[in-house]
Amino acid sequence: MSVQASGQDAAATQGAARPGWVGRLRRSEGATGWLLVSPGAILIGIFGLLPVLMALKLSFQKSDLLTPDTPWVGTKNYRQLADDPRFAEAIQHTIVYTALFVPGTMLVGLLVAAALNRSVRFISVYRTAAYITMAVSTISEGIIFLWLTDKDYGLVNATLNAVGISSQPFLASTSQALYVIVAMTIWGWTGFAVIVYLAALQGVPSELHEAAAIDGARPFTRFRTITLPLLSPASLFLLVWLTINALQLFDEVYLTTRGGPLHATTVIVYYLWDQAFVQFNAGYAAAMAYVLFLVSVVLTAIQFRLARKYVHYS
Amino acid sequence: MIKRQTAWMAAAVSVAALVLAGCGGGGDSGSSAGGGKTKVVVWDGYEDVQGKNITALIAQYNKEHPDVQVTQLVSSSDRVLQKVLTAVRGGSPPDVAYMFGSWSPNIAKIPQVVDMSQYVQESDWHWDDFYEGERQAATVGDKIVGVPALVDNLAIVYNKSLFKQAGVAPPSADWTWDDFRAAAKKLTDPSKKQYGWLIPADGTEDTVWHYDAMLWEAGGDILNSDNTQAAFNSDAGVEALTMLKDMAVTDKSVYLDTTNSNGTKLMNSGKIGMLVTGPWDLSSLPDIDYGVQVMPTFAGSDAGHQTIAGPDNWVVFDNGSERKQAAVDFVRWLTAADQVKTTSLTTGDLPTRESVGSDASFRKQLEKNLTGSATFVQNLANVKKARPSVDQYPAISEAMGQAIVSVLLGKAEPADALDEAAQTTNDALNGG
Repeated sequence: MSVQASGQDAAATQGAARPGWVGRLRRSEGATGWLLVSPGAILIGIFGLLPVLMALKLSFQKSDLLTPDTPWVGTKNYRQLADDPRFAEAIQHTIVYTALFVPGTMLVGLLVAAALNRSVRFISVYRTAAYITMAVSTISEGIIFLWLTDKDYGLVNATLNAVGISSQPFLASTSQALYVIVAMTIWGWTGFAVIVYLAALQGVPSELHEAAAIDGARPFTRFRTITLPLLSPASLFLLVWLTINALQLFDEVYLTTRGGPLHATTVIVYYLWDQAFVQFNAGYAAAMAYVLFLVSVVLTAIQFRLARKYVHYS
Repeated sequence: MIKRQTAWMAAAVSVAALVLAGCGGGGDSGSSAGGGKTKVVVWDGYEDVQGKNITALIAQYNKEHPDVQVTQLVSSSDRVLQKVLTAVRGGSPPDVAYMFGSWSPNIAKIPQVVDMSQYVQESDWHWDDFYEGERQAATVGDKIVGVPALVDNLAIVYNKSLFKQAGVAPPSADWTWDDFRAAAKKLTDPSKKQYGWLIPADGTEDTVWHYDAMLWEAGGDILNSDNTQAAFNSDAGVEALTMLKDMAVTDKSVYLDTTNSNGTKLMNSGKIGMLVTGPWDLSSLPDIDYGVQVMPTFAGSDAGHQTIAGPDNWVVFDNGSERKQAAVDFVRWLTAADQVKTTSLTTGDLPTRESVGSDASFRKQLEKNLTGSATFVQNLANVKKARPSVDQYPAISEAMGQAIVSVLLGKAEPADALDEAAQTTNDALNGG
């Protein structure tokens, strides 16, 4: 092997004496790097970037996905969005959902992580228990919550009845269904937030806590002034990640309420799917997707801008 | 240096592998498989006993036709349209796909879909032997977009012991909707969390077709005769929806399944007196003693007993003349009377052909396999109307679904809700 390799080396050196383009390419670090990433880059290009660009084109066309005829309609799809009351309703539901889901998941995740950040017996059992909701498939999650919150036969109402509260319709109610989905997704995502916060909590140096304790700081003050600021990078990550996921809520809605009752849980991506694959207005749906994309970009940019002020890396 | 060269090679090899893999995929879609056999690719969503049946039939066909290789790809029926659309766009549709009948007007617009009208005229197809409702649902304008694969219809499935406990006579063939309502009320017992009836109330087509059958029985129609305007906001439409309102809102005798997920399970656990459903649910009711009866009529309406059929089709796609012909031949064989009979007796599905369904000894055998299925076969004769074949149907179904759910939830009055849905329908029909 070594003989062969040195032979190749010699050939390469000879090639360098009269550098052709192949020789130059083989010698450059950049070319090697590009070649190494190219399998991934090509796949992402074909299955990620290309569809994104085709969707952009689609958003300026009228298409039912069925016929090959896709006439250009200019910005009509985007203008139509502005006067669509159902789209406005979907935006409203998405905002309410995001505003509850993101802080909710972060808060519950932080509390659970703080509780798990100690050395007690069987701590790994508790940590696994906290994370296990992430391993539950969305379908199972949907079915579990459907039965838990069933208006007549669900465990939640049975518990409420036991303490003297009358049965609630939950997913069958236009005013409660969205909040049930908030609760359900917080449950599903808590494990993720716990893992992120737990890792960050273990990076908080104990000397700081000891020094503050000697200076007479109470546990709550230490948590607020030492732990929380040092968790801020993790919080920023969760904020951005959970917000993007919240804006794209679909699976849980599709599996439980199908956007109902009476559109009460129709969020943007559910409406988009309905328009594209039930009503066959693919161009209109693509325009909706682009509006959502732009909103996500702007929101993320704002979050990073705010982060400069509130996030401490050390 | 050695390291770098190895890395260079590794990268080059992986790129080559990727390119080759891409080519392999492209080459595979050629018209003939190895050994000179003509390939026919079938996409369907059959599972369990239905899945075993279709797999066995395909194996039998392959054995009897050594020059053809039929292969099967199983995918959820709900999502097969999305997948077919993607495949059509990508230039590699299947040769045969199982598609819901309600998609027919939209399927008719796909250029690769083979118009079957030229084939089914041939005498060996016995096209007229398919039930009228099935043929209607496969026809869009002058095109026939598919061949009936599965047919069903709605009838009352009731829990015999709950009727006995409540002291109510079981449904008879001359029940009116008022009898149905009275029975549902008596079967409802809040203390036992028991309901007389359960209706899917998620506002999808599953909600709508329950109402469609009632609308037709009351003498109404979904659209006017030339499919240019909504007709469901007629007196008949209001009468049918008011009946639903009286039961759901006034009597509270209906479990509103707003997530459309609980129906069969609750029926099987003895919490529901009656379901209006199709034959596919019968095999999921092993724990109760049930009976089946045709839908009630509206007193004073001369429309009589009706029901709605949801016939689904085998749709053939054009992948070149050789594969097209092989696919057409396969579908003709699969939907011939012998195979229809085998399928029906194996799976409990209703026969798609009248010659099979009208055979009394066949019905007896079917009933023995699955109690109640003979009533569903006879109920096929009550399929007198079909959903309108217009490509705006999804928008119409959506508008009607929301109207029905808003009434069921007590948020709107029948006439207002239907008028609003009619407005949406008319806008959609007039290119809104």
